[in-house]
Amino acid sequence: MKRWALVLCMLLIVGSVLSAGGKAEKFPSKPITAICPWTAGGGTDVLLRALAKETEKFLGQPITVVNTTGGGGAVGHNAIRQAKPDGYTVGMITFELNSLPPQGLIPFTYKDFDPLMRLNVDPPALTVRKDSPFNSLKDFIEYAKAHPGEVSIGNSGPGSVWHIAAGLMAEKTGISVKYMPFDGAAPAVTALVGGHLTAVSVSVAEVRGQVQSGNLKILGVMDTKRSGIFPDVPTFQEQGIDVTFGTWRGLALPKGVDPEKRQILADAFKKGFDSPEFQAFAKNAGLNLAYQDSAAFGEFLAKNAADVELVMQKLGLAKK
Amino acid sequence: MDWNLLFTSFENILHPSVLLSVLAGVTMGITIGALPGLTATMGVALLIPFTFGKPVTESLAMLLGLYCGGMYGGSISAILIRTPGTPAAAATVLEGYPLGQQGHAGRALSMALFASFCGGTIGALLMTFLSPPISKVALEFSYVEYFSLAVFGLSVIISISGTSILKGVIAGFFGLLISSIGFDPISGYPRYTFGFVELLEGPAFIPTLIGLFALSEFFSGMEKSNGIERIKAVVRAFPPKEDILVSLKNILKSSFIGAFIGAIPGTGGDIAAFVSYGEAKRSSKYPERFGTGVIEGVAATEAANNACSGGAMIPLLSLGVPGDSVTAVILGAFIIQGLQPGPLLYKEHIDVVYNVFASMIVANIVMLFVGIIGIRFFVRVISIDKKILLPVIFVLSMVGSYAMRGNVFDLWLSLIFGLIGFLMQRYGFPLSPILLALILGPMAESNLRRSLVMSNGSWKILVSRPISVILLCAAVLSIGISIWNHKRVAARTK
Repeated sequence: MKRWALVLCMLLIVGSVLSAGGKAEKFPSKPITAICPWTAGGGTDVLLRALAKETEKFLGQPITVVNTTGGGGAVGHNAIRQAKPDGYTVGMITFELNSLPPQGLIPFTYKDFDPLMRLNVDPPALTVRKDSPFNSLKDFIEYAKAHPGEVSIGNSGPGSVWHIAAGLMAEKTGISVKYMPFDGAAPAVTALVGGHLTAVSVSVAEVRGQVQSGNLKILGVMDTKRSGIFPDVPTFQEQGIDVTFGTWRGLALPKGVDPEKRQILADAFKKGFDSPEFQAFAKNAGLNLAYQDSAAFGEFLAKNAADVELVMQKLGLAKK
Repeated sequence: MDWNLLFTSFENILHPSVLLSVLAGVTMGITIGALPGLTATMGVALLIPFTFGKPVTESLAMLLGLYCGGMYGGSISAILIRTPGTPAAAATVLEGYPLGQQGHAGRALSMALFASFCGGTIGALLMTFLSPPISKVALEFSYVEYFSLAVFGLSVIISISGTSILKGVIAGFFGLLISSIGFDPISGYPRYTFGFVELLEGPAFIPTLIGLFALSEFFSGMEKSNGIERIKAVVRAFPPKEDILVSLKNILKSSFIGAFIGAIPGTGGDIAAFVSYGEAKRSSKYPERFGTGVIEGVAATEAANNACSGGAMIPLLSLGVPGDSVTAVILGAFIIQGLQPGPLLYKEHIDVVYNVFASMIVANIVMLFVGIIGIRFFVRVISIDKKILLPVIFVLSMVGSYAMRGNVFDLWLSLIFGLIGFLMQRYGFPLSPILLALILGPMAESNLRRSLVMSNGSWKILVSRPISVILLCAAVLSIGISIWNHKRVAARTK
């Protein structure tokens, strides 16, 4: 009896090893890990989790989102970069991958990743209180010119994407303003609603709720086209200020993943991206989806990195 | 107030499927809250993807249940193993843990549950009836008021200093020093990071908290692990009548303090609990007994942090501005459901607003029942042999430290703070002031800096606004009274 059990066990072990060996060609054969460099519950995290949930079906394997956070995104990006390039780890890369290197805070750049696809781009907007006397960018800039250093613009953190956005605007228009950094966009918006700031330079999605509630109004969007949520608000370009800017999010792999596996991942995530469930989620969340495939995303990253570094140098935010 | 609508909402929430969601949320919340390192914020964030497809009422009821349960759950591990399950329960350690060690774990746990229930319900009622006026005051808080509030909070350090004010103040300054590690909040320049990117945002709060409290206890437990007698614990679901009578005033007062602090955006249960503790000690007839296991202390802190949940929902619902970190995540849940909290929600989806009111009240009642059933199991933890309990605490601490950011660095951070906590305690330094300084230091610094940017460097701005002046005076008064109390006690014992 005991011997039989032993033989049976051996057979099972041998069998499982064999079957595992046979399956090795099929990718993926185990759950995929998706690294998010930002906290659970934040915008990036919610986006990644929604996409992962829809993509699982097409990949045939569960996708586990892991939040590896800290260092203003540096820690999570580093974790993606150093992950084993076996295709079982993908990561979300964000704008900060291009703004941290000029500050001398991380020793790697976008070149150390294999871009998989761009998911979304969110443009900033200049937003003021509903009861403010400004009704256009022109009003705002004229006032700021007449009262240098009086106007205060809130952003989501020193050296953050929206700090750079405000700096870019000030630089192009030659105004001098107070930059007020907060710990994230939400407290900046709160301070504006409370009347403790003149304006904020955060994304349209981040002020959407307060604009729809009638507490705030948007003076202009820093995009090439008008916002889908607020089609009545003109862009900066339309108002004669040639500035476009935005934050972006995309998926990337550590360098050196087998091209076939890469293609399987890219196809599955694209299907997840196109699923009606994900599209509905993005619409509700006010996300500006902007898909680009691997090659286009790679070119975009190179151009964006150069642009960002230039602006940061001009604003004195870069290390050198 | 539309009473008919309120009753309809209660009917909605008491519907079996919704009630089941609340029950599931509360149970998950208590579990997550009790486990060190897992906070209500994280629980809500992880639950949101599962509520995508659910009806609005059910998913919100579940999330709110988790929020309420999580706030209470933190007190369980605070009392039993000296590890605040959530930052909001850190102040509960001060009185809860000594009570447990004296064999009164049942009393402390049942008081924590009772006070949580009262606080949570009062907070929910305040939210139901007074949202618009409270949110208006909350919005008035500019950088100046935030700074003054932080200073007022820091003044509590004197009253949680224990036997030596000097040692308490030293611990407080040590905490402030640590809180200055990381990005400068205004210029973005990295300070004291020694090249570790993991320190750019300062030492992560949860691993620090776990190190200071749980691991330091682990170290000192190892040191004296021979010959510890097992602590007996009496199971009780309700606190004894005397305990309730003596704490009732504190529960009421702390509930109001908690709800108001919760309503101010950017503050949370941790600050509310410490401020209420300071107030309970100040107004007590025997402040010298605080720190040795006074039941009113547990009542005050737990009532405050649970009342804070209702308070934090106030600006979220009426302004669309989250009151604390959990409600910031709940805001996301609203938006995913296609709802925008704020005046528009009141106009277009008043039924949802009332359902939230009803959910919060029902969640607190459900929490009371789940807690009563749970206490008989929780309380046994304290009787477990230390030889078995200590390694378990160690493993839980490590898991909790890692879970927050998924960083191995945080394990080392936690161990280092464990060692610091162990040594400080051995030489009679209290640990809570470090914690309070870590919570309030960044708030004080960044808002002082913003105030000075606004005023072009003039310090007069700090006394230019009435709320700020009141808070600063309260801080001075609180320090004065605490020192006077301390001297009086010292004179009496001589």
